[in-house]
Amino acid sequence: MAVKIVTDTLSDITEDLAKELDVTVVPLYVRFGEEIYRDRVDITSEEFYRRLVSESALPSTTQPTPNDFLQVYNRLVEETDEILVIVVSSKLSGTYQSATQAKEMMKGKCQIEVIDSLSVAMGMGLIVDSVAKAVKEGADLKTAAGLARSCISRSHLIAYFDTLKYLAKGGRIGKASGLLGSLLSVKPILTVREGEMAPLTRVRSLGAGLDYFYNFAASCSGIQGMAVEHATTPEQADKLVERLSAIYPKEKIHRAVISPVIGTYAGPNAIALTILEAEKK
Amino acid sequence: MARKKTVAGQDLRDMFSAATSWLEKSSADIDALNVFPVPDGDTGTNMMLTMRSTMEEAYRAPDHSAAGVAHAMAKGALMGARGNSGVILSQIWRGLAQGLEEKETFTAADLADALQQSAKVAYKGVSNPVEGTMLTVMKDAAAAAQAQVDAGNEDIISVLDATVSAAADSVANTPRLLKVLKDAGVVDAGGQGVYTILEGALRYLRGETELMRLRKPQIIVSELPYTAPLPQVSGVDEVPYGYCTEFLLKGEKLEPDVIKKRLEKKGESLIVVGDDSAVRIHIHTLTPGNILQFAAKLGTMHQVSIRNMDEQHQDFLEMQKERMPTTDMAVIAVASGDGLKDIFGSLGAASVVPGGQTMNPSTKDILQAVESTFCDNIIILPNNKNIIATAQQVQSLTEKKVAVIPTRTIPQGVAALLAFDYEADFKTNTELMEKAMLSVKSIEVTRSIRATKINGLKIKRKQPIGLLDGELIAAGTSNADVIDRLLTRLNIEKAEVVTIYHGEDAEAEEAEQINTDIAGRYPHLQIELIKGGQPHYSYIISVE
Repeated sequence: MAVKIVTDTLSDITEDLAKELDVTVVPLYVRFGEEIYRDRVDITSEEFYRRLVSESALPSTTQPTPNDFLQVYNRLVEETDEILVIVVSSKLSGTYQSATQAKEMMKGKCQIEVIDSLSVAMGMGLIVDSVAKAVKEGADLKTAAGLARSCISRSHLIAYFDTLKYLAKGGRIGKASGLLGSLLSVKPILTVREGEMAPLTRVRSLGAGLDYFYNFAASCSGIQGMAVEHATTPEQADKLVERLSAIYPKEKIHRAVISPVIGTYAGPNAIALTILEAEKK
Repeated sequence: MARKKTVAGQDLRDMFSAATSWLEKSSADIDALNVFPVPDGDTGTNMMLTMRSTMEEAYRAPDHSAAGVAHAMAKGALMGARGNSGVILSQIWRGLAQGLEEKETFTAADLADALQQSAKVAYKGVSNPVEGTMLTVMKDAAAAAQAQVDAGNEDIISVLDATVSAAADSVANTPRLLKVLKDAGVVDAGGQGVYTILEGALRYLRGETELMRLRKPQIIVSELPYTAPLPQVSGVDEVPYGYCTEFLLKGEKLEPDVIKKRLEKKGESLIVVGDDSAVRIHIHTLTPGNILQFAAKLGTMHQVSIRNMDEQHQDFLEMQKERMPTTDMAVIAVASGDGLKDIFGSLGAASVVPGGQTMNPSTKDILQAVESTFCDNIIILPNNKNIIATAQQVQSLTEKKVAVIPTRTIPQGVAALLAFDYEADFKTNTELMEKAMLSVKSIEVTRSIRATKINGLKIKRKQPIGLLDGELIAAGTSNADVIDRLLTRLNIEKAEVVTIYHGEDAEAEEAEQINTDIAGRYPHLQIELIKGGQPHYSYIISVE
């Protein structure tokens, strides 16, 4: 029986892509005051960002419950006996714990492997994409899990934030705290390093940020996958895709929208680029 | 939402027991914040150990009333208090116990009362209370609880919720009150500890025990800009911290107040707390022997601990180094004017050497900054063409690896510093920075010191003149006029960001006007007006 893959909404895998890849996506939760929404199930990204900017109280986010995963496992167990779960960095969310607890509740009814992607957004999405394709070609659980692990070190996410305000208030700032408190208005460029947000550099404008992305991509050799995501500025992300297509005409560049849960920390106007390096032979 | 009108002794014990586990998760993070009174990095651990002893006693207590539990907690805290913060914490529990005297259960009003008492007793225990510490946080938290109760709130959970929020705000505010925190770019460690304990108690009452198991307390981040401390101008004379001396004194008819008076002149951070049978003493002193000799005459000493704080400080510095995003590279900038110094500091320069046009620092000044920086690889931004050579001389005078990025202006220096890549190596960074400094255009506006002819311009004495990337190319009737002339020389349609640093001679109103004019003329630009406070140049403008 074929391995079934489960991930969470922070992978930024769209509904269409999930269908195409045969991946189950478990939603995290976003809370505005007393109202709780399932990420991109009960609230659209557009609606979320509108409220993020207009409401004074910041939203908060919660991982899926163990029961959320348990239900998915129980459904999948009817079709398979091997499940591979790839979730958001355990340093950024408790999703990994929930997925693992649910695995224990299954009491060995099925082979389940939970992998901490140590990344987020398409940084994790491209790993899922790559593994799902391998499964389609017949990879078993052990091979698929091995591939996922090897992808982790090859997945590079860099993100332009218009502000660190949301990241700081949400307590997820990690090592990027060194970028706080600048007296000039600067825009941080961050990456995810060992599962945590870490600073790369700073720029003064979105234009300079996009140049940085472009140079970053241009300096990479052997690209297996690429993704560009936006929060509220699709036209800027499209511009970047256009420039990147010019230097990488053959590669497919995934386009995605940054999940509201990540948006809670990234804030509006954020742009992210992920590059999945090809395996070195 | 759950509401709660009274809390029983059993719950009081369980809520602070949960708070202790909550604090435990955060103790290493709190250790790393610790810079006051001595940066020895043990506040989190000390508070955690104190809490453990506090709760052990609470569980041993035969009396399960709120008063009984609180009393046991106070006793446990006093017996097991560790370090400055632990002793102050023990006073907080002592105050709480006084506030809950004879209560079987307690209400929101009782809690507010007790917290007020905690703050009061905590202040009293310290011989010279300092604001911006856990004392302030406790006081602010208690005041918030009282305000809720005064407003008629009877629900303990929401009263405590307001208390915790106030504690968080108070923690975030500590760097404003205590300069050493601001200089280090941290909030007060003890304050953070108090906040974490209160927050843990609140989460327990809300029934979030499962969540507490999975999550970790948050370290509060101050919104105050981090400004790097300036290097010491004279030789580095380190004041020794001495020995952290603490013990429990047991005896009969002990008089804490009298003991406190006697010890007041013997050292720093003195705390004497307790009753007539047990007194805990904590002091930072250069002569611990004298303290012990004095105490031995009054009773028996227990849990005696004497630690060399200079050693602790060194360990702490090592720990800090490990936590920095980059450990082996630092940037030193040359600038003058309070605003510019703060800008460089806030952007991550390890230190800023005072200097600039007509006031060049000596090689020794820069060398000193290099030597007193904790990194072996140093990048220097001279930010003036006359300082580049001086900075380069430092290379041959130190064992450290030094690179000089030949920045000729402040805007070039800022652009170079911003391009610093946290993950790149030394060589790559110097290349990135050299490249970045060329990406900005620098405009400097000053006044001519004498009448002259240069570059085809006829210049009168004291006339406003403008330099573009160091070259004198405009003279005008006013500062605004000169800036206009220079901006038209640039390819401004391609520019995105203009930053105006106005100097100490520039009028704020004029600066605002120039800002508004440029914004009106070039609406596509993002313009930032900043008080640079620099001498000599009334305006420095970067266009990028």
